[in-house]
Amino acid sequence: MRILVADDDALSRTLLERTLERAGYEVTAVDNGRLAAEHLCCHDGPRLALLDWVMPELDGPAVCREVRQKREQPYVHMLLLTSKESKQDVVEGLASGADDYLVKPFDPEELKARLRTGLRILQLEDRLVEAREDMRFKATHDPLTGLFNRGVIVDLLAREVVRTHREGSCAVVLLGDVDHFKQINDTHGHVVGDSALREIANRILGAVRSYDYVGRYGGEEFLVVLNNCDTSLALSRAEQIRRAVSAAPVHVAGSAISVTISLGVLATKDWALLAVEEVIHEADAALYKAKADGRNCVRFANSSATQPE
Amino acid sequence: MKIRDGVGKSAVNFDELLNRVDRDPQLLREVVDIFLSDYPLRMSALRLAIAEADWRTAEKVSHTLKGMLSNMAATRAASAAAHLELLARSVDAAALPDALASLEGEVALLLPELNGYSAKNVS
Repeated sequence: MRILVADDDALSRTLLERTLERAGYEVTAVDNGRLAAEHLCCHDGPRLALLDWVMPELDGPAVCREVRQKREQPYVHMLLLTSKESKQDVVEGLASGADDYLVKPFDPEELKARLRTGLRILQLEDRLVEAREDMRFKATHDPLTGLFNRGVIVDLLAREVVRTHREGSCAVVLLGDVDHFKQINDTHGHVVGDSALREIANRILGAVRSYDYVGRYGGEEFLVVLNNCDTSLALSRAEQIRRAVSAAPVHVAGSAISVTISLGVLATKDWALLAVEEVIHEADAALYKAKADGRNCVRFANSSATQPE
Repeated sequence: MKIRDGVGKSAVNFDELLNRVDRDPQLLREVVDIFLSDYPLRMSALRLAIAEADWRTAEKVSHTLKGMLSNMAATRAASAAAHLELLARSVDAAALPDALASLEGEVALLLPELNGYSAKNVS
Protein backbone atom coordinates (compact mmCIF):
# COMPACT_ATOMS: atom_id res chain seq x y z
CA MET A 1 0.00 0.00 0.00
CA ARG A 2 1.30 3.45 -0.91
CA ILE A 3 1.49 6.13 1.77
CA LEU A 4 2.49 9.78 1.67
CA VAL A 5 4.55 11.22 4.51
CA ALA A 6 4.74 15.01 4.72
CA ASP A 7 6.99 16.57 7.34
CA ASP A 8 9.47 19.42 7.06
CA ASP A 9 11.62 17.94 9.85
CA ALA A 10 14.11 15.54 8.25
CA LEU A 11 14.49 13.57 11.48
CA SER A 12 10.80 12.92 11.86
CA ARG A 13 10.46 12.17 8.15
CA THR A 14 13.30 9.62 8.23
CA LEU A 15 11.90 7.89 11.31
CA LEU A 16 8.48 7.63 9.69
CA GLU A 17 9.87 6.49 6.35
CA ARG A 18 11.90 3.66 7.87
CA THR A 19 9.16 2.55 10.26
CA LEU A 20 6.60 2.40 7.48
CA GLU A 21 8.89 0.73 4.96
CA ARG A 22 9.57 -2.00 7.51
CA ALA A 23 5.83 -2.43 7.91
CA GLY A 24 5.53 -3.04 4.16
CA TYR A 25 4.34 0.37 2.96
CA GLU A 26 5.58 2.03 -0.20
CA VAL A 27 6.49 5.48 1.10
CA THR A 28 6.60 8.81 -0.73
CA ALA A 29 8.10 11.48 1.52
CA VAL A 30 7.83 15.24 0.96
CA ASP A 31 8.94 18.20 3.04
CA ASN A 32 6.15 20.70 2.47
CA GLY A 33 2.38 20.90 2.39
CA ARG A 34 2.06 22.10 -1.20
CA LEU A 35 3.80 18.99 -2.54
CA ALA A 36 1.69 16.82 -0.26
CA ALA A 37 -1.53 18.32 -1.64
CA GLU A 38 -0.32 17.84 -5.22
CA HIS A 39 0.45 14.16 -4.64
CA LEU A 40 -2.82 13.50 -2.82
CA CYS A 41 -5.02 15.36 -5.32
CA CYS A 42 -3.78 13.19 -8.21
CA HIS A 43 -6.45 10.65 -9.12
CA ASP A 44 -3.95 7.80 -8.76
CA GLY A 45 -2.11 9.36 -5.81
CA PRO A 46 -1.58 7.60 -2.46
CA ARG A 47 -4.72 6.92 -0.45
CA LEU A 48 -3.04 6.98 2.94
CA ALA A 49 -1.29 10.05 4.27
CA LEU A 50 0.60 11.08 7.39
CA LEU A 51 0.74 14.86 7.64
CA ASP A 52 2.64 17.10 9.98
CA TRP A 53 0.72 20.19 11.08
CA VAL A 54 3.37 22.95 10.85
CA MET A 55 4.90 22.87 7.36
CA PRO A 56 6.06 25.45 4.84
CA GLU A 57 3.72 26.65 2.09
CA LEU A 58 0.65 24.76 3.31
CA ASP A 59 0.07 23.40 6.80
CA GLY A 60 -1.40 19.97 7.53
CA PRO A 61 -5.02 21.11 8.06
CA ALA A 62 -4.87 23.17 4.84
CA VAL A 63 -3.68 20.06 2.96
CA CYS A 64 -6.65 18.13 4.39
CA ARG A 65 -9.09 20.85 3.32
CA GLU A 66 -7.65 21.01 -0.20
CA VAL A 67 -7.76 17.24 -0.65
CA ARG A 68 -11.34 17.02 0.62
CA GLN A 69 -12.36 19.80 -1.75
CA LYS A 70 -10.56 18.59 -4.87
CA ARG A 71 -10.44 14.82 -4.72
CA GLU A 72 -13.76 13.10 -4.31
CA GLN A 73 -12.79 9.59 -5.25
CA PRO A 74 -11.15 7.41 -4.34
CA TYR A 75 -11.18 8.46 -0.68
CA VAL A 76 -7.90 9.43 0.99
CA HIS A 77 -7.40 8.51 4.65
CA MET A 78 -5.37 11.29 6.27
CA LEU A 79 -3.76 11.22 9.67
CA LEU A 80 -2.35 14.35 11.30
CA LEU A 81 0.85 13.62 13.22
CA THR A 82 1.92 16.67 15.17
CA SER A 83 3.43 18.05 18.35
CA LYS A 84 0.30 20.13 18.84
CA GLU A 85 -1.50 18.34 21.60
CA SER A 86 -4.26 20.53 23.02
CA LYS A 87 -7.89 19.40 22.72
CA GLN A 88 -8.56 22.50 20.67
CA ASP A 89 -5.84 21.46 18.19
CA VAL A 90 -7.28 17.94 17.93
CA VAL A 91 -10.76 19.33 17.23
CA GLU A 92 -9.43 21.83 14.70
CA GLY A 93 -7.32 19.17 12.97
CA LEU A 94 -10.20 16.73 12.63
CA ALA A 95 -12.54 19.51 11.51
CA SER A 96 -10.17 20.28 8.62
CA GLY A 97 -10.89 16.85 7.16
CA ALA A 98 -8.29 14.63 8.84
CA ASP A 99 -9.52 11.15 9.75
CA ASP A 100 -7.23 10.61 12.69
CA TYR A 101 -4.85 12.49 14.96
CA LEU A 102 -1.63 11.38 16.64
CA VAL A 103 0.69 13.38 18.86
CA LYS A 104 4.47 13.31 18.38
CA PRO A 105 6.62 11.54 19.31
CA PHE A 106 4.79 8.59 17.83
CA ASP A 107 4.80 5.09 19.19
CA PRO A 108 5.60 2.81 16.23
CA GLU A 109 3.09 0.13 17.24
CA GLU A 110 0.28 2.61 17.80
CA LEU A 111 1.04 4.29 14.48
CA LYS A 112 0.89 0.97 12.62
CA ALA A 113 -2.34 0.02 14.37
CA ARG A 114 -3.95 3.34 13.41
CA LEU A 115 -2.87 2.87 9.81
CA ARG A 116 -4.36 -0.62 9.76
CA THR A 117 -7.63 0.97 10.86
CA GLY A 118 -7.30 3.40 7.97
CA LEU A 119 -6.72 0.51 5.57
CA ARG A 120 -9.86 -1.25 6.84
CA ILE A 121 -11.89 1.89 6.14
CA LEU A 122 -10.42 2.21 2.64
CA GLN A 123 -11.15 -1.45 1.90
CA LEU A 124 -14.73 -0.98 3.07
CA GLU A 125 -15.04 2.06 0.80
CA ASP A 126 -13.66 0.07 -2.14
CA ARG A 127 -16.24 -2.66 -1.59
CA LEU A 128 -19.05 -0.11 -1.41
CA VAL A 129 -17.90 1.65 -4.58
CA GLU A 130 -17.60 -1.69 -6.38
CA ALA A 131 -21.13 -2.65 -5.32
CA ARG A 132 -22.48 0.72 -6.41
CA GLU A 133 -20.75 0.46 -9.81
CA ASP A 134 -22.09 -3.06 -10.22
CA MET A 135 -25.62 -1.82 -9.52
CA ARG A 136 -25.12 1.14 -11.84
CA PHE A 137 -24.05 -1.22 -14.63
CA LYS A 138 -27.00 -3.52 -14.04
CA ALA A 139 -29.39 -0.58 -14.09
CA THR A 140 -28.10 0.71 -17.41
CA HIS A 141 -27.17 -2.42 -19.38
CA ASP A 142 -29.00 -5.32 -20.90
CA PRO A 143 -28.08 -8.46 -18.93
CA LEU A 144 -28.02 -10.74 -21.97
CA THR A 145 -25.89 -8.75 -24.41
CA GLY A 146 -24.14 -6.25 -22.14
CA LEU A 147 -25.29 -3.45 -24.44
CA PHE A 148 -27.11 -0.35 -23.16
CA ASN A 149 -30.66 -1.25 -22.18
CA ARG A 150 -33.69 0.30 -23.85
CA GLY A 151 -34.11 3.16 -21.35
CA VAL A 152 -30.50 4.27 -21.64
CA ILE A 153 -30.17 4.00 -25.43
CA VAL A 154 -33.38 6.00 -25.91
CA ASP A 155 -32.10 8.66 -23.46
CA LEU A 156 -28.79 8.82 -25.30
CA LEU A 157 -30.60 9.17 -28.61
CA ALA A 158 -32.80 11.95 -27.18
CA ARG A 159 -29.70 13.83 -26.04
CA GLU A 160 -28.06 13.41 -29.45
CA VAL A 161 -31.16 14.63 -31.26
CA VAL A 162 -31.25 17.81 -29.16
CA ARG A 163 -27.50 18.33 -29.48
CA THR A 164 -27.40 17.92 -33.26
CA HIS A 165 -30.40 20.24 -33.60
CA ARG A 166 -28.68 22.89 -31.42
CA GLU A 167 -25.30 22.59 -33.18
CA GLY A 168 -26.62 22.05 -36.68
CA SER A 169 -24.68 18.78 -36.85
CA CYS A 170 -25.90 15.31 -37.73
CA ALA A 171 -26.28 11.95 -36.04
CA VAL A 172 -27.37 8.75 -37.69
CA VAL A 173 -29.94 6.45 -36.10
CA LEU A 174 -30.14 2.80 -37.06
CA LEU A 175 -32.87 0.47 -35.97
CA GLY A 176 -31.98 -3.15 -36.71
CA ASP A 177 -34.02 -6.31 -36.39
CA VAL A 178 -32.58 -9.82 -36.68
CA ASP A 179 -34.30 -11.63 -39.56
CA HIS A 180 -36.37 -14.71 -38.78
CA PHE A 181 -35.15 -14.79 -35.22
CA LYS A 182 -38.27 -16.62 -34.06
CA GLN A 183 -37.21 -19.52 -36.30
CA ILE A 184 -33.83 -19.73 -34.54
CA ASN A 185 -35.58 -19.93 -31.18
CA ASP A 186 -38.14 -22.44 -32.44
CA THR A 187 -35.56 -24.66 -34.16
CA HIS A 188 -32.65 -24.53 -31.72
CA GLY A 189 -34.23 -23.41 -28.45
CA HIS A 190 -34.00 -20.21 -26.43
CA VAL A 191 -30.55 -20.90 -25.00
CA VAL A 192 -29.12 -21.04 -28.52
CA GLY A 193 -31.22 -18.00 -29.47
CA ASP A 194 -29.72 -16.07 -26.57
CA SER A 195 -26.20 -17.06 -27.62
CA ALA A 196 -26.93 -15.93 -31.16
CA LEU A 197 -28.17 -12.57 -29.87
CA ARG A 198 -24.98 -12.14 -27.82
CA GLU A 199 -22.85 -12.86 -30.87
CA ILE A 200 -24.87 -10.47 -33.06
CA ALA A 201 -24.49 -7.76 -30.40
CA ASN A 202 -20.71 -8.30 -30.45
CA ARG A 203 -20.64 -8.07 -34.25
CA ILE A 204 -22.56 -4.79 -34.20
CA LEU A 205 -20.25 -3.40 -31.52
CA GLY A 206 -17.26 -4.41 -33.58
CA ALA A 207 -18.61 -2.57 -36.61
CA VAL A 208 -19.06 0.86 -34.97
CA ARG A 209 -16.65 3.41 -33.53
CA SER A 210 -15.82 3.40 -29.80
CA TYR A 211 -17.82 6.57 -29.24
CA ASP A 212 -21.02 5.41 -30.99
CA TYR A 213 -23.90 4.08 -28.90
CA VAL A 214 -25.37 0.60 -29.27
CA GLY A 215 -28.34 -0.64 -27.28
CA ARG A 216 -30.79 -3.51 -27.20
CA TYR A 217 -34.12 -1.91 -28.05
CA GLY A 218 -36.33 -4.97 -27.77
CA GLY A 219 -36.20 -8.78 -28.12
CA GLU A 220 -34.12 -9.02 -31.29
CA GLU A 221 -34.04 -5.29 -32.05
CA PHE A 222 -30.98 -3.10 -31.75
CA LEU A 223 -30.76 0.68 -31.74
CA VAL A 224 -27.51 2.27 -32.87
CA VAL A 225 -26.63 5.98 -32.68
CA LEU A 226 -23.67 7.11 -34.76
CA ASN A 227 -22.42 10.46 -33.44
CA ASN A 228 -21.26 13.16 -35.84
CA CYS A 229 -21.99 10.99 -38.85
CA ASP A 230 -23.10 12.70 -42.04
CA THR A 231 -25.96 11.66 -44.31
CA SER A 232 -23.51 10.71 -47.04
CA LEU A 233 -21.82 8.16 -44.74
CA ALA A 234 -24.99 6.84 -43.12
CA LEU A 235 -25.74 4.24 -45.74
CA SER A 236 -22.22 2.86 -45.95
CA ARG A 237 -21.99 2.61 -42.15
CA ALA A 238 -25.32 0.80 -42.03
CA GLU A 239 -24.15 -1.56 -44.76
CA GLN A 240 -21.00 -2.20 -42.78
CA ILE A 241 -23.09 -3.30 -39.80
CA ARG A 242 -25.35 -5.44 -41.95
CA ARG A 243 -22.35 -7.20 -43.51
CA ALA A 244 -20.67 -7.68 -40.12
CA VAL A 245 -23.77 -9.48 -38.83
CA SER A 246 -24.26 -11.72 -41.84
CA ALA A 247 -20.59 -12.31 -42.74
CA ALA A 248 -20.37 -15.75 -41.14
CA PRO A 249 -22.73 -18.20 -39.47
CA VAL A 250 -23.01 -18.04 -35.69
CA HIS A 251 -21.60 -21.21 -34.12
CA VAL A 252 -23.60 -22.26 -31.08
CA ALA A 253 -23.77 -25.66 -29.43
CA GLY A 254 -22.36 -27.42 -32.48
CA SER A 255 -24.70 -25.71 -34.92
CA ALA A 256 -23.77 -23.14 -37.54
CA ILE A 257 -26.65 -20.73 -37.75
CA SER A 258 -26.89 -18.20 -40.56
CA VAL A 259 -28.03 -14.81 -39.31
CA THR A 260 -28.95 -11.61 -41.13
CA ILE A 261 -30.30 -8.26 -40.05
CA SER A 262 -32.52 -5.64 -41.63
CA LEU A 263 -31.89 -2.01 -40.85
CA GLY A 264 -33.86 1.23 -41.01
CA VAL A 265 -31.66 4.34 -41.16
CA LEU A 266 -32.34 7.97 -40.39
CA ALA A 267 -30.00 10.96 -40.48
CA THR A 268 -31.20 13.64 -38.05
CA LYS A 269 -30.07 16.45 -40.35
CA ASP A 270 -32.67 15.46 -42.93
CA TRP A 271 -35.51 15.81 -40.46
CA ALA A 272 -36.78 18.64 -38.33
CA LEU A 273 -37.72 16.17 -35.61
CA LEU A 274 -37.02 16.85 -31.99
CA ALA A 275 -39.15 14.24 -30.25
CA VAL A 276 -37.21 11.04 -29.88
CA GLU A 277 -40.39 8.98 -30.33
CA GLU A 278 -40.86 10.49 -33.81
CA VAL A 279 -37.25 9.76 -34.74
CA ILE A 280 -37.65 6.13 -33.69
CA HIS A 281 -40.99 5.93 -35.46
CA GLU A 282 -39.41 7.07 -38.77
CA ALA A 283 -36.47 4.67 -38.36
CA ASP A 284 -38.95 1.90 -37.63
CA ALA A 285 -40.88 2.73 -40.78
CA ALA A 286 -37.65 2.43 -42.77
CA LEU A 287 -36.93 -0.89 -41.06
CA TYR A 288 -40.41 -2.09 -42.02
CA LYS A 289 -39.57 -1.17 -45.62
CA ALA A 290 -36.35 -3.20 -45.43
CA LYS A 291 -38.31 -6.20 -44.16
CA ALA A 292 -40.88 -5.75 -46.92
CA ASP A 293 -38.11 -5.57 -49.53
CA GLY A 294 -36.87 -9.04 -48.65
CA ARG A 295 -34.84 -8.55 -45.45
CA ASN A 296 -31.04 -8.50 -45.02
CA CYS A 297 -30.92 -4.98 -46.42
CA VAL A 298 -30.80 -1.32 -45.41
CA ARG A 299 -33.50 1.24 -46.12
CA PHE A 300 -33.24 4.96 -45.61
CA ALA A 301 -35.95 6.98 -43.92
CA ASN A 302 -35.24 9.91 -46.21
CA SER A 303 -36.90 9.31 -49.58
CA SER A 304 -34.36 11.53 -51.30
CA ALA A 305 -31.47 9.26 -50.29
CA THR A 306 -30.19 6.54 -52.57
CA GLN A 307 -31.66 3.16 -51.80
CA PRO A 308 -29.44 0.10 -52.06
CA GLU A 309 -30.36 -2.78 -54.26
CA MET B 1 25.22 -5.99 15.90
CA LYS B 2 23.44 -5.28 19.19
CA ILE B 3 22.81 -2.06 20.96
CA ARG B 4 22.89 -2.09 24.76
CA ASP B 5 19.94 -0.40 26.44
CA GLY B 6 20.74 2.91 28.09
CA VAL B 7 20.25 3.30 31.85
CA GLY B 8 20.36 6.09 34.45
CA LYS B 9 19.20 9.68 34.52
CA SER B 10 20.43 11.17 31.33
CA ALA B 11 19.30 13.92 29.01
CA VAL B 12 18.16 11.22 26.60
CA ASN B 13 15.90 8.29 27.42
CA PHE B 14 17.80 5.72 25.42
CA ASP B 15 15.30 2.94 26.01
CA GLU B 16 12.65 5.05 24.40
CA LEU B 17 14.97 6.18 21.60
CA LEU B 18 15.90 2.58 20.81
CA ASN B 19 12.26 1.61 20.65
CA ARG B 20 11.66 4.44 18.28
CA VAL B 21 14.33 3.20 15.86
CA ASP B 22 13.24 -0.40 16.28
CA ARG B 23 16.64 -1.18 17.83
CA ASP B 24 18.26 -0.65 14.48
CA PRO B 25 21.84 0.71 14.86
CA GLN B 26 21.91 1.95 11.31
CA LEU B 27 18.77 3.99 11.78
CA LEU B 28 19.98 5.25 15.15
CA ARG B 29 23.14 6.56 13.54
CA GLU B 30 21.10 8.12 10.76
CA VAL B 31 18.74 10.01 13.10
CA VAL B 32 21.58 11.15 15.36
CA ASP B 33 23.43 12.47 12.30
CA ILE B 34 20.33 14.28 11.09
CA PHE B 35 19.79 15.78 14.53
CA LEU B 36 23.42 16.89 14.84
CA SER B 37 23.37 18.58 11.46
CA ASP B 38 19.89 20.14 11.77
CA TYR B 39 19.70 21.42 15.31
CA PRO B 40 22.44 24.15 14.96
CA LEU B 41 20.50 25.64 12.03
CA ARG B 42 17.24 25.61 13.99
CA MET B 43 18.92 27.11 17.07
CA SER B 44 20.45 29.90 14.96
CA ALA B 45 17.08 30.61 13.39
CA LEU B 46 15.50 30.72 16.86
CA ARG B 47 18.11 33.09 18.26
CA LEU B 48 17.71 35.37 15.25
CA ALA B 49 13.91 35.36 15.49
CA ILE B 50 14.04 36.29 19.18
CA ALA B 51 16.65 39.00 18.53
CA GLU B 52 14.45 40.48 15.82
CA ALA B 53 11.28 40.10 17.91
CA ASP B 54 9.82 37.89 15.17
CA TRP B 55 7.52 35.99 17.51
CA ARG B 56 5.73 34.05 14.82
CA THR B 57 8.97 32.56 13.49
CA ALA B 58 10.20 31.99 17.05
CA GLU B 59 7.03 30.03 17.79
CA LYS B 60 7.34 27.93 14.63
CA VAL B 61 11.02 27.10 15.13
CA SER B 62 10.44 26.26 18.81
CA HIS B 63 7.64 23.98 17.70
CA THR B 64 9.91 22.19 15.23
CA LEU B 65 12.65 21.86 17.86
CA LYS B 66 10.12 20.45 20.30
CA GLY B 67 9.22 17.76 17.74
CA MET B 68 12.87 16.95 16.98
CA LEU B 69 13.80 16.69 20.65
CA SER B 70 10.74 14.56 21.41
CA ASN B 71 11.74 12.20 18.64
CA MET B 72 15.23 11.98 20.17
CA ALA B 73 13.57 11.08 23.51
CA ALA B 74 15.18 14.15 25.05
CA THR B 75 12.31 14.88 27.41
CA ARG B 76 13.75 17.82 29.37
CA ALA B 77 15.05 19.60 26.28
CA ALA B 78 11.69 19.00 24.53
CA SER B 79 9.89 20.56 27.52
CA ALA B 80 12.22 23.57 27.36
CA ALA B 81 11.37 23.97 23.64
CA ALA B 82 7.66 23.62 24.42
CA HIS B 83 7.97 26.36 27.06
CA LEU B 84 9.67 28.62 24.51
CA GLU B 85 6.90 27.92 22.00
CA LEU B 86 4.27 29.00 24.54
CA LEU B 87 6.16 32.15 25.46
CA ALA B 88 6.61 33.09 21.79
CA ARG B 89 2.91 32.49 21.12
CA SER B 90 1.91 34.74 24.02
CA VAL B 91 4.62 37.27 23.03
CA ASP B 92 6.18 37.19 26.47
CA ALA B 93 9.34 38.98 25.36
CA ALA B 94 10.71 39.42 28.85
CA ALA B 95 10.73 35.71 29.64
CA LEU B 96 12.10 34.51 26.31
CA PRO B 97 15.85 35.08 26.86
CA ASP B 98 15.85 32.96 30.03
CA ALA B 99 13.81 30.25 28.32
CA LEU B 100 16.25 30.25 25.40
CA ALA B 101 19.17 29.92 27.79
CA SER B 102 17.43 27.01 29.47
CA LEU B 103 16.93 25.25 26.14
CA GLU B 104 20.55 25.86 25.17
CA GLY B 105 21.66 24.39 28.50
CA GLU B 106 19.59 21.26 27.97
CA VAL B 107 20.83 20.79 24.43
CA ALA B 108 24.41 21.27 25.64
CA LEU B 109 23.90 18.31 27.99
CA LEU B 110 22.26 16.25 25.31
CA LEU B 111 24.92 16.50 22.62
CA PRO B 112 27.80 14.73 24.37
CA GLU B 113 25.42 11.99 25.46
CA LEU B 114 24.24 11.41 21.93
CA ASN B 115 27.73 11.51 20.49
CA GLY B 116 29.10 9.24 23.22
CA TYR B 117 26.28 6.74 23.05
CA SER B 118 26.42 6.58 19.31
CA ALA B 119 30.21 6.08 19.27
CA LYS B 120 30.11 3.45 22.03
CA ASN B 121 27.17 1.38 20.89
CA VAL B 122 27.06 1.67 17.17
CA SER B 123 30.06 0.68 15.17
